[in-house]
Order: sequence, then structure tokens, then C-alpha cells
Amino acid sequence: MSEPAIECCNVWKVFGPNPVAHARTLKQEPSAGSDGHVVAVRDVTLRVKRGEMLVVMGLSGSGKSTLVRCLSRLVDVTDGVIKIDGQDIGSLSERDLIALRREKMGMVFQSFGLLPHRTVLENVAFPLEMRGQSRSARIARAREVLALVGLAEREDYYPRELSGGQQQRVGIARSLAIEPDIWFLDEPFSALDPLIRREMQDEFLRLKQLSDRTIVFITHDFDEALRLADRIAIMKNGAIEQCDTPDRIVLQPATDYVARFTQGIDRARVVHAGALCTPLNGSIVEGAPVASDVTIRALSRRLVAETRALIPVADSQGHIIGSLNRTQALDLLLGEAQ
Amino acid sequence: MSDLKADASGFSQPAPTPRTGGIAIATAELSGWKVLLVLALCLAAGKILLPVGMIRPPDWMILPFAAWINAVFDFLRYDLGLLSITRTIADGIEWCLDVTGNLLYGRNRWPHLGPIPWSVLAISFAILGYALGGWKLAVLSGGTLVWIAVMGQWRWAMETLSVIVVAAPLSVLIGMVTGVTAWRWSWFERALNPLLNIAQSMPHFAYMIPVVVFIGVGPKAGAVVTIIFSVPPMIRLTLLGLRKVPEEVVEAGKMNGASQWALLTRVRLPTARSELLLGVNQVIMQCLAMVVLASFIGMPGLGQRLLQMLQALRIGPAFEIGITIVLIAITLDRLSKAWATKKPVHHESGTHWMARHRLWLVWAGFASVAWLVAQVIPYLHEVTRSQALSMAPVIDMSVNWFLTLAAPVTEAIRRFLIIWVLIPFRDAILWLPFTAILVAVAALGWALGGRRSALICLAFMIPIAMTGWWDRAMITVYTVLTAVGLAALVSLPLSVWGAGNATRARRMLLVCDTLQTFPSFIYLIPVVMLFGVSDVAVLAAVMVFAGVPLVRYTIEGLNGIEPEVLEAGQMNGTTWWQALRHIRLPLAFPTILIGFNQSAMFALFMVIIAAFIGTQDLGQEMQRALSATDVGKGLTLGFAVAFLGLMADHLLMRWSRNIHERREARS
Amino acid sequence: MKHRAFLLIGVATMAITTSPALAADSSDPIIIPIHNWSSQIVMSHIVGQMFESLGNSVEFVSADSQSVYEAVRLGDVHLQVEVWEGAFAASFDAARERGGIHAAAVHDAVTREDWWYPTWTKEACPGLPDWQALNECAAMFATPETGDRGRFLGGPVDWLKNDHIRVEALDLNFAVVNAGSAAALWAEVAAAERTNTPIVLFNWTPNFAEAVWPGEFVEFPAWEEGCKACGNPADGYLKIAAWDGMPEKWPGAYDVLTRVSFNNAQIAEMARLVDIEGLDPEDAATAWMEENQDVWQPWVN
Repeated sequence: MSEPAIECCNVWKVFGPNPVAHARTLKQEPSAGSDGHVVAVRDVTLRVKRGEMLVVMGLSGSGKSTLVRCLSRLVDVTDGVIKIDGQDIGSLSERDLIALRREKMGMVFQSFGLLPHRTVLENVAFPLEMRGQSRSARIARAREVLALVGLAEREDYYPRELSGGQQQRVGIARSLAIEPDIWFLDEPFSALDPLIRREMQDEFLRLKQLSDRTIVFITHDFDEALRLADRIAIMKNGAIEQCDTPDRIVLQPATDYVARFTQGIDRARVVHAGALCTPLNGSIVEGAPVASDVTIRALSRRLVAETRALIPVADSQGHIIGSLNRTQALDLLLGEAQ
Repeated sequence: MSDLKADASGFSQPAPTPRTGGIAIATAELSGWKVLLVLALCLAAGKILLPVGMIRPPDWMILPFAAWINAVFDFLRYDLGLLSITRTIADGIEWCLDVTGNLLYGRNRWPHLGPIPWSVLAISFAILGYALGGWKLAVLSGGTLVWIAVMGQWRWAMETLSVIVVAAPLSVLIGMVTGVTAWRWSWFERALNPLLNIAQSMPHFAYMIPVVVFIGVGPKAGAVVTIIFSVPPMIRLTLLGLRKVPEEVVEAGKMNGASQWALLTRVRLPTARSELLLGVNQVIMQCLAMVVLASFIGMPGLGQRLLQMLQALRIGPAFEIGITIVLIAITLDRLSKAWATKKPVHHESGTHWMARHRLWLVWAGFASVAWLVAQVIPYLHEVTRSQALSMAPVIDMSVNWFLTLAAPVTEAIRRFLIIWVLIPFRDAILWLPFTAILVAVAALGWALGGRRSALICLAFMIPIAMTGWWDRAMITVYTVLTAVGLAALVSLPLSVWGAGNATRARRMLLVCDTLQTFPSFIYLIPVVMLFGVSDVAVLAAVMVFAGVPLVRYTIEGLNGIEPEVLEAGQMNGTTWWQALRHIRLPLAFPTILIGFNQSAMFALFMVIIAAFIGTQDLGQEMQRALSATDVGKGLTLGFAVAFLGLMADHLLMRWSRNIHERREARS
Repeated sequence: MKHRAFLLIGVATMAITTSPALAADSSDPIIIPIHNWSSQIVMSHIVGQMFESLGNSVEFVSADSQSVYEAVRLGDVHLQVEVWEGAFAASFDAARERGGIHAAAVHDAVTREDWWYPTWTKEACPGLPDWQALNECAAMFATPETGDRGRFLGGPVDWLKNDHIRVEALDLNFAVVNAGSAAALWAEVAAAERTNTPIVLFNWTPNFAEAVWPGEFVEFPAWEEGCKACGNPADGYLKIAAWDGMPEKWPGAYDVLTRVSFNNAQIAEMARLVDIEGLDPEDAATAWMEENQDVWQPWVN
């Protein structure tokens, strides 16, 4: 496979009077005192594949927002290397960095970051204006993206005249105007009401289907993370506790911290048949298979009605990849697993 | 101006933070100021035993600051040839003034188009008012211009406005550029801050003398001094606005690939629009205040007229001009504030071009009609002196009637104040040895803000002793103290009453806000009316001027208390008086202190301005320096006044913050 | 745009071709400074109206009466119609030394400015006008502000009198209290008249006050160059100062200016129109000129 879209090696971000020295000290002696420093990102190593959606999840103050700002170089890292498409962004000149952002990156912000003095249309056209596109071209493109997020009717409005959900749609439209390869979303829905949030998540999943861009999504909402992620990275105190698929996070939490996160979760909604599937190892299973990418919750009716102890599991091509233990699945469904 | 003075105190830096010694140091500080206080009392009590050099600053201590400053200015003027540069700049400004002067009141200069008929301007202002703030503002701004024209004050008002029209944009531009520079390079800000603090504490007259030296007299000098005076608030608000731009908006700009320049011009400055426009509002109000005062250096217009009428003790006409100035102040304030708070509103897509620019078309239509009609009816073009209305005789009559009625009262107040308050207090303060005052000031600083504050206070006071103007400075101090004290006696009960219910509080705050937009000069009219030209008149003017911020902050402080605290008090069964004494006043105290701080600042400014109705203090000397164009003396006195102001500011703000911090620490 | 360029060129050519040929007055306005006493303001307007009758344009600016000479010298303002010897000789001479200003005319009026009292004061203190007698009566002039010392009511601060120096030099038992304006002086005299209170204040001649309140100047030791323990000159001059560039720029107006000369009575009348009649200075000027056609018409023609 080609090189990852984003690669992050031993990245540190320390705030304080002498960040570089403090990071060095911490590397040798992880338990050293703070000495007035705040470690926002601690020795983070990550790879995000092209087209993958990584959700970075953590409580407030865990460093997730700083991490995403390191990835977009809105802040410079204290130590470590970040590569976008194999290129070390720490070494880019101001001009190249601006070019990179103009060509490849889009970002959505928690409190939207819209320009209050510009109309919706002008906000969405702003990145294109920065690129130097002609007025007519950028307005045409901005209208196109606005239609995509369902705000075509509101193009002459000013941000403050819109609801929070609508403002974030503008933010999303603006970040998509240049068709970025890499899309950063920094807690895009946390400022919204729960109902609107749900609606926006659906909207987001729809937009995600339209292309296969690489996405880094920040949230403090575990449900949201489980709902959207290909992979989840859980952060605590600046370090990544675990970075894995939702199923594995739930079924095999790496640390107590992660385990506590998953406690209150309805696992059946998260775990897919494929995650519980054990290899056949020669044993024979009979009857109709279930698809590996269906959650146990979705299978509940069937599991209750099922008479077989082992149910075959098929992947997306229809090949049988293993079997699902009905008792185990029912335990999980009833919340009695482990 | 008010809010900025409060900001100015940002300069008083945080207190000595290391409090590691805890109780030990606290007691040391406690006893420290007590020791100083006792020492001060000893010095005062043992005055007869002291050598002369400890009673008044000895000659060796007095440095010829004035001569040094004059030497520097002479060097700048003649040797460096700065004079030709400043005069070139002044010529540029004069050219602008000629243009606005021609358009507004038909000054005989290029482009020889004016004057614009008053009816056209009145209609334009009304429509501008409507566009920014609806019918009320339209009536206010249109009505103001109609009043000016009908009362026959058009020419003077336009002379004043023609300077504001030039000075305000220039101030805004200079302020913004400086503000951006300070925001971009922190070393520049660090260098600028103390300068701004001093600049904002200098009395108006101190600015005028160097301007007379470098620019001369007349409208251009008025414009220059106005610009210099009104730039500082713009710098501060530019900085504030740029700092308040939400980080996410900037980040969004960066992620959208904006360069540094694009970030500044298309993201940061537009997002800071509200603060910048608030700055514009401040600049306009400062300009108005200064343009009126600049009549002392030959600025024509309303200020000059007012000065003449006041000097001639012609209260009626002075009163009319006062009303005009007040109306202009309120109009300009409301217009620029409406502009600052106005948010853009969209048009439905597909709205016709005519509909989008409806107001422009209405304006163009009305203005051209008015222009044409004015060509036929000269009254609508210009109201001549003989056509002008005047209420002056009526005012004069009623004022005289009132004065004869009130004379026994005012005379009694005057006598009482002079004999029982002013003279004893002044004699006492002049009797004190200067060393005792210095030590007492240090003790005060120590008590309120620790050792560092004591040193800061001394650093402000000792140079005043070294100027050789000690006695004059003490008279200024005594006037300010008396005025602020008397103002507090009146305004604290007033504001407790005002804070009693929400509607009343809101109304009183509105009145205070409006009063604060008036140029300081205005306050002299009623007091001269009541008390004639005397010490008491000065005191009364200072009192009124200083009372306004006190009322304002006290009401804000009393009403800013969280309702839960008061409710808890009520549930504990406090009476109204107990609640006031034990809950509301103590909680409001830090805010009231800020009010006192502003009050002291305003009082200081007013004392200096009031010099022209006869005082014996620094202000009188300042006026003398202005007359003699003695830059050195003027600036020395200006610094002395600024230092007094900065010291009061430091002490009061330090005190207010200490109370805050102590409460934070406790909770 | 093009249109305007043509217009400008046209105007410029006209300006170049016409002005030197006729040696007429420049069309720039002549700027006349006005100060804070009535006769000066009225006289400025009279001179201004004379210039206007010649076709000149005139502007008035208010200016400080001491710093005005520097302004005249630099050509910011162009003349000053009342240079009082007692008050302004020092500033005027200093400016003349630096160059750019000269005396264009001398008024007939003889000026004196000094300590002065209205007649009813003399009843209370019969030794007047002698200054030593005044000093002995000092307690009579005491006010709340001055305590047990007598009050001398001085003119506004910016008239830069050396009264306090004289008080020190002659060891007078008086405190100098500066009135805010000339009008404040008259208000105090009027108030004193009502109650027949003794008062000593700063006054000058020519002035309308002599007509309203008869009185005398206090006789101090005679004035000498540089003296401190002495009065002001008893027969001071009253001149008109002008900018050196004026004869060249406005030859016509300057020519008229050199002929201007008013006497004490005329100047007192100007002040009276404003201070007693309550006219606006502009109206007072017009009124005076209508009454006194024969005085000023010859200067203009």
C-alpha cells in the first residue's frame, strides 16, 4: 500500500517557559516535575491511511485539539516529525505551508470560526479568494458547495442570522470548497443541541460517502466517535492510550482508562458480527450466514430466534470467514459479557 | 473617555507576587506602613524643629526641568529644523481644513463650491440617522442641525465640525496603524504603554503649548492638537479589538491559506470591527472635547464663541451655545455608537437594485430637492444674523430672576465653603512640611499595595517636589480632594437611591452616559451662572464633573451583585439598611473605587481647565505658560499633573484589585 | 476629470497673467487675530470691514494676546490692532528682534494700565491715590478668599501682569486674585458699587469703564526701565503690529492700515457698545462705523 496520508512520529507539544528542554527531560525521565510547563501532546505516534477516518477522542484538556493543530501546523511541534503525504510539514516555509493548506487541507472548528462581516456565500468563497481564483469562478464553486450542505437559500445571510447548525454547515461548506484531500474536524458538533448534533452527524456521514478523503475528527463524545470512526484514538494527558477499531476498543480495552470509557456503552450497538467471529478451524457451520459488518444489536431478533449454537459469518463478498457463537453474542446483547 | 481611563490603569502592574512568607511578610508590611504613618505625624507635629529644607523642597533639590525641556525644544526647532517639517505637515492639514471649511461654511478657498445649504446637510444627517438607528436617531440628528441653523449658530458649528471632519479620520488612521504596530511587535507596545498612560493623564493645556510652538495658532493648530489628543484611545481600542478576535477565526483564516497581510486586513481587522468603531466613537468625542477647548489657541467655532460669551459673562448666549455643543455631542455619540453596534442584515436574494439602495436614492432625491429649493429660498441656504432666533434674552431674564432669588443661598454656600472648608483645608495642606506629605503618601501606598506601591508613589511625588511647583501642586491636590469628597457626599446617597429599582438605575446610567459625552467646558456654564467667577465656581464645576463617574460606577457596583447573594441575605432576615451596609456596599466597593479613580482623574482635568475662571494652582501657571508659549514650563507642569493623576490611579486601582484578590483567595 | 484639468489650467493662467500686472491685493484672506477684551475685538472688526470694503477677504481667529506676536511674525495671522505698551511691549519687542513683524501705525490714544479704584473707595480710604495710603487701608479690601490681606483683583492670568512681583517688591499687604475675564472685573465693580464696598482692581485707559464708574489710578513710584517696585508707564503707546509680508501681499489694505489711528474716546466707545449696550462685536463694529463715517472714510479713500 502507498504511504500514509498523515504520519506522526514521537510528536511532543509542550507549553511553558522552556518547552524544548522540558520535552527532552521528560523523554529521559517521564515522571519529572512540571516546572511551570504544560504538556499538551506527549510522544504521539500515529498513522492515518489515505481515505481513512480517524476519530481522536478524549476529555477536555487531553490534548486532542492541540494534536490536530499540530497536524495542520497551526501550532509548531516541540519535538517529533509530522509528515503529510510523506512531506515533513515542520520544515515547510511559510509560503509552502500556505500553498499546502490552499491545496490540500480543510478544517472545521468547534465554534465555527466564520467571518462575521461576510455573507454566507463570501465566507464559503474565502479560501478560493485566498487562492486567487476569479470572482465568478469562486462564487460558482461556493454556490455548488452550499447546495451540497443544503444552504443554497441562505447565501445572502450573515453568520449571526443563522442557527448554530446552519453556521456549522457553512463552516463545513467552507472547508470543502477547495476539495481538500485531508479534512480536519475539531469537535464540529459539540456546540450544537443534541437533536441537531444527530442530524449533523447523519449529514456528515452522507458527505463522507461522496468522496474518499482522509479525515481526522476530534470529539469528546464517545458515542459520536463510535458512530463515525474507522479507528479511534483515545487520548489522556496528551498521550494516546489506545488507537484501534471501535470493536477492539470495546472488546479489548488496552488500559483501565479506556475500559472505564467503554463501561456505560451499549456494546451491542458497537460490536459487529465480524469482531466476535472466530475462525472455523475445520468445524462445519450450516445455514444462512450473517454479514460481518452488522452490529449485534441489529442481529438481536435473529439471535433470539436462532437455534444454531454457531452461526456462519460472511464478509462483504459473501465468503464465510468464521462463525459467531450465539451464547456469546446473546451475552453481549444482554450486557453480561465478561 | 471614561472607559479608557479605566484601561489606562492596566499599567499599574500586578503586585509583588511572592507571598511565600505568608503571615510573616504580611505583618512586616502592616507594621511598615504604620511606622511610616507615625513618622509622618512626627514630622508634622515637630514642624518647628525641622530645618527649612525639610519643610519646603530646598533649592538644591529643585532642578531646572523647564530650562532643559526648552533647550531640547529649541534644539529640535532651530538646530534640527523640525519646525519646517511640522509646518509642512501643518500646511497639509490646513489644505484639508480649507476644503472642508469651504464646503461647510463657505470659507474662501479651493474648491469654491460651498457653503452647502444647511437644509441639505440637515436632511443628509436625518437620513444618516435613520439608516443607522431608525426614526429616533433621524429626529435627533436632523433636529440638531435644524436647531443650529435656526438659532443662527450655523457658521460657528460648521467651523467646529470642519475640524472634526479632518481630525477624526486622521486620528483613527494614525491610531489604527500605531495599534497594529503595537499588536504586532510587543517591544513597541511595551515602549508605548507608559507613554500612553502619561498622555492620557496630561491635562489638555499641556498638549497645546508644544503645538503652538511647532504649528502656531488657529484652525490648523486646533486640528493638530485635537489629533494628538484623540489618538491614544484609538490605539488602545485597536489593540483590544485585535486581541479579542476569536482564535478560531484566525485559525480558520490560516487554514484557508491566508497570508499574514490577508489575515490582518481581511480577517483580523474586519472581525474587530465593533471595537474599532467604538474607537471611532471615542475619537470623535475626544475631538469634540478638544476642539472646543482649542479655542484657547485660536480655534474658531463654537468653543471660541462660548469662551467669549463666558468671559463677557453673557449667560444667555453662552447657554444657547452650550445647548448646541451638547446636542452635537449627543448626536455624534449616538450616531457613531449606532454605527458600531449595527450588524449587517441580508437582502433576500433577487431583491432589485433600487430596493437594495433605497436609502441612497431617497437621500439623493431629498438632498437635490433641498438644494434646488435653497437656491430659491435663501433662508434654507443660510440663516442670516437678523433672521436667527434667540432665546438669550429670555434665558438671561429667567437666570437673573433665579439668581436674585437664589443669591442669599448661593452666597451663603459660597461663604460657608470658603471660610469653613476651603481656606482651612488649604492652609492645613500648605502648612504641612513636604517631607511629612511624602512620608504619608508612602505610608498610604504601603498600606494599600505593599512596599512596591510605596516606592511607586514616591517616584511620582518626588519629581513634583523637584519641579519647584510644590505649593501649586498641593493647591491642586486640595481642590481635587475637596471636590471629590464633596462629590462623594452628594453622589453616593444619590446612587444608592438610584440603584433602588431597575428602571431608575437604568435612567440614571443613561443620564450619566449622556453627561459624560459633554465636553468638559460645558460644565463651566452653569457654575459661572450660579457662583460667578470664583473659587467656589471652580469647585462646583469640578464637583459636578467628578460626580458623574462616581454615580455611574456606584450604581453599576450595587446592581452588579449576584441576586443570589442578596436573596440569601433576605432569607437571613436582613433589613434594607443591614443589607446595604453589610452586603451591598462591601461587595460593590471595588467597583466604587474604580469610580473614585475616574472621578479623581476627571477632577484633575477639570481643575486645570477651570483655571481660566481663576484658580491659584498648577492650572493657573499652565495657562500662564500657554500665554507665554513657554513649552518647558508647560510640559513640566503637565507632567506634574499627570504624575498626580497616575499616582491616584495606581493607589485606587491597586486597592480595588487587592480587595478582589483577597476575595478570590478566600473563596 | 479632463474637464477639471482644463479648468485648473485656465484658473492658473489667469492667476499668473492677472495678478502681477495689476499689483492688486492677493485674494487670500487677511487673517486678523482677536483677543479677550472688547475694544480690540470691535476694532478688529472695524479694520476688517474697512478691508472688505476694498474687496479683500478677511478672516478672524481668536488668539492668545501674548503668543500672537510670534504668529504675526511667522505670517500665520497678519496684524494686531491694539499693541498696548504696558502689556505687550515685551512680547512685541521680542518678536521684532527675531524679525518678520513691525509697527504699521501708532494710535493717537495714550494708554495706561494699572491698579485703579472707583471714587467711592476714596471715601473709605482718603489718603488715595498714594500707594502707601492704599497699603495702610489694606484690611478694608479683605475678602474671605484673602483672609486678613487686602484683595487686588487682577486681570485674567494670560495678560501676564507682574502684580505679584510688585506686591513683593513694595511689601504690600495685598493678595492678587485673578479674575477670569475682563467682564468678571466689571461684574465685581458693579457688585461693589451696589454695596459701596471699597475695591481696587486692574483697569486701563482707553476703556468704557471711566465713563461708567469715575475713578483714579493708584500712584506708584514712577516707572523706569527694568524696575520692580514701581507702577506701569503712565503714558504708554498703542500701536498696530503687522506682518512684514503684508505690504507686498496686500499693498492696498496695508496702505489703509498705516493710516488707521484711533483716540481714547473712540476706543472707549467701541468697548462701551459691547460691554454696556450688549451688542455682538460684529454689530458693534457696524454701528460704530455708521456713526463715525467721517473718521474712517478718509483712511479708506
